[in-house]
Amino acid sequence: MSKAASEDQVVEFVRMARESRSPFEIVAGGTRRSVGRPLGGLAMLDVSGLSGIVKYEPAELIITARPATPLTEIKAVLADKGQRLGFDPADWSRLLGSNGAATLAGAASSDASGSGKLRHGGARDSLLGFRAVNGLGEAFRGGAKVVKNVTGFDLPKLVCGAYGTLCVLTEMTFRVYPEPQFATTLCLSDVTAEEGFAALRKIALSALEPAGLAYLPGNMFADAGTGVALIKLEGARQPLEEKIALAHGLLGDAMHQIEGDPFAAIGCGEKFADLPGDVWRVMIPRVEAPRLAIELNARHWLGDLAGAVLWLAADAAQGPRIREIAARANGQAMLLRGSAESRKSLGLFAPQPPALASLGRAVKAAFDPLALFNPGRL
Amino acid sequence: MLLPPTDAKIVARRAEIVAALKEIVPDGVVADPSGLATFDADALSAYHQMPLVCVLPTNRQQVSQILKYAGEHGVPIVPRGAGTSLSGGALPREDGILIGMGRMKRILEIDYENGCVVVEPGVTNLNITKAVEANGFYYAPDPSSQIACTIGGNVAENSGGLHCLKYGLTTNNLLGVTMVLPGGEIVTLGGKCGAQGGLDLLGIVTGSEGLLGVVVEVVVKILRKAPVTRTLLASFGSVPAAGQCVAAIIADGVVPAAMEFMDRRCAEAVEGYNQPGYPAGAEAILIIDADGVEADVTHAVSRIGEIVTGCGGTTVEATDEKQRVRIWSGRKAAFAAMGRLAPDMICMDGTIPRHALPSVLEEMAKLAEHYQLGFCNVFHAGDGNLHPLIIFDTMKGDEFERAEAFGADILRLCVKVGGVLSGEHGIGVEKRDLMTDQFSPADLEQQHRLKCAFDAQGLFNPGKVFPTLSACVEQGHIHVHGAQLPHPHLPRY
Repeated sequence: MSKAASEDQVVEFVRMARESRSPFEIVAGGTRRSVGRPLGGLAMLDVSGLSGIVKYEPAELIITARPATPLTEIKAVLADKGQRLGFDPADWSRLLGSNGAATLAGAASSDASGSGKLRHGGARDSLLGFRAVNGLGEAFRGGAKVVKNVTGFDLPKLVCGAYGTLCVLTEMTFRVYPEPQFATTLCLSDVTAEEGFAALRKIALSALEPAGLAYLPGNMFADAGTGVALIKLEGARQPLEEKIALAHGLLGDAMHQIEGDPFAAIGCGEKFADLPGDVWRVMIPRVEAPRLAIELNARHWLGDLAGAVLWLAADAAQGPRIREIAARANGQAMLLRGSAESRKSLGLFAPQPPALASLGRAVKAAFDPLALFNPGRL
Repeated sequence: MLLPPTDAKIVARRAEIVAALKEIVPDGVVADPSGLATFDADALSAYHQMPLVCVLPTNRQQVSQILKYAGEHGVPIVPRGAGTSLSGGALPREDGILIGMGRMKRILEIDYENGCVVVEPGVTNLNITKAVEANGFYYAPDPSSQIACTIGGNVAENSGGLHCLKYGLTTNNLLGVTMVLPGGEIVTLGGKCGAQGGLDLLGIVTGSEGLLGVVVEVVVKILRKAPVTRTLLASFGSVPAAGQCVAAIIADGVVPAAMEFMDRRCAEAVEGYNQPGYPAGAEAILIIDADGVEADVTHAVSRIGEIVTGCGGTTVEATDEKQRVRIWSGRKAAFAAMGRLAPDMICMDGTIPRHALPSVLEEMAKLAEHYQLGFCNVFHAGDGNLHPLIIFDTMKGDEFERAEAFGADILRLCVKVGGVLSGEHGIGVEKRDLMTDQFSPADLEQQHRLKCAFDAQGLFNPGKVFPTLSACVEQGHIHVHGAQLPHPHLPRY
């Protein structure tokens, strides 16, 4: 395994790989290596040395860090100044059974956004700029270090969710958000999926700016009865009290506040970590959630983001059926955790229509014409 | 401004191209000189060019056929929404087909449960809000031209507005598009759930300034209108004090819905124009909106008040909706009011890190001194998006040249302090030749290769965004003559 701990070293390595036409896997914390099509025994470039905070400007609500900075480090540094990453980067290591430290670049590259997505969007909405090395071995940058920018193509959007198939990141600049002073989770117990998702949509369509909206069936949450709708609200003390009162106004007084924050575990997929089988994230128009939950017929499942994401565990044989059901609902089923065979045969996402697939290949080639980076993962 | 040379061979085939387009859109081809004159510029009115022909399709199949024809015959394409671009994004070409999307203006679906609306690209920004406001919803991005600009144009330019400080730009409020690629293929990127699987091409198409294809359907998020909005007017004895106050409010973690800055010169011009009631003698004012549930707004307003006082300023709050509208009317009239002070004016657009506001404002005053020109500052302070207005008289000596040099120096100053050439107007032809000030050759080549992945023939909006190899030094501006703005009925921010 080769290591690169600076942009110059990445450039040097990519140029050598280009000379010898040798594709390689990019590894930082290594916690997400089992997501996507298996890469086989490719050479590896270990970029874990590209770690650390380059510049943090709390007053500017912007942080620049090297890509392999562990999420725990970045979260601690931000928390020290009362701030946080808006997209709630999710650490999937327990779910995937991997060791190592989940990193900033890993979370952004796999678009591992948690419940914060409701308020502040996904990784794509937080990444303002980056530096990277393309497949020609050239260092370049995309975006900038300001919050409002329309100068040139918006490359930061593209590297989020690209699973390292376009370039090797060497520096990333994110916008950050103030940590609200208080947060609480309201729980509506003993409700069916139909009732629970309807309640969540009501909150989603209100002006309460919720920070988490999930439905968990009875077997996924203690004392849930039929199931629970969980609603996370946040703000300064007075505003939070008002929001709680307004939520009661919308959904009635049956709700109670619960201790702790269940949403961190939901975003990281921890509810599925100890379950057998493949784990799927099915992204759908949220109104379809109750119907699809029935149709998918999984023993273990939950609905996050007011129903826009269904998590479920299923036997490997169920894969094609899950894909088909998601497609019929104009959704997309992502195989987040699966055996090498499942991942090889099903891929991370369903195949795209031909015109879109060919456009995607052309875009990939515009960054990495020799397909050196994580070939085939996406 | 150098544009790629006109291809005389294409111009010579004009009759044949017009006939082919009439086959595709029998009732939507404009080819006569008087008709074409309507389309010879967008809101960057210093530049005019009659298109070869203009075609106005009514459905996606027609768009696809037009792009297929253009690809097969090597004819350039310039897409256009309502023509309100401030950077020349829709400036036609003598050898190119101008494809106007204004007739595709149906609202296809309003889906409250999923919080989104599906529209054709020619629907105006404001009409999306109008379609849902009776039920308490709105579409958040609010560019100043929102009564005229189309959502297709907003996607192309990644438009912002007053309230993007809290609610984001077009890109953060867009769930999906269906677009026709160069050559005529139709693809859908994203959708009601935003997810697509694979590369986030939706993110690249947004803000691509018509270089990658033509959008034929758009899915946008809608939001519940905040129950309470309160407006503060803060005034300061010095410009740096106001700049420091902006930085302090952002640093404090309060997120106003909007935070707008005006210096003394601008505030006085506006006061003489439509009397919004701004305090006399203030060197700088801020107009700040806070919105949300009542307690959130109360909290924000009291915190902002404390910070303003701490920075040596004073605040007045609008006591009712009428006064709120009056305070904002001054901001919205800033452009027109400044236009009365001199025959000509240019408006710049760059973004800087917010902490650099005080120093950049001081540096700009020094530049004005150096160039001996009048200017004022009015801008979206909360996100550091500057819109300095430079006033001059083309008829007086070298004032025009000095104004352009001053403007370019301001944009270079933005880049020097870590900012960018454009916060919301786009590059177009206006700032194209300054791109090399912000980006290295490797940065630009990477972007250009991405362009080629969509448009291998280079037919889409040639001459925009990317500087030509023979880049001459041209500066970004909106040219206004005799206080006559393009689309004079639109407010300018």
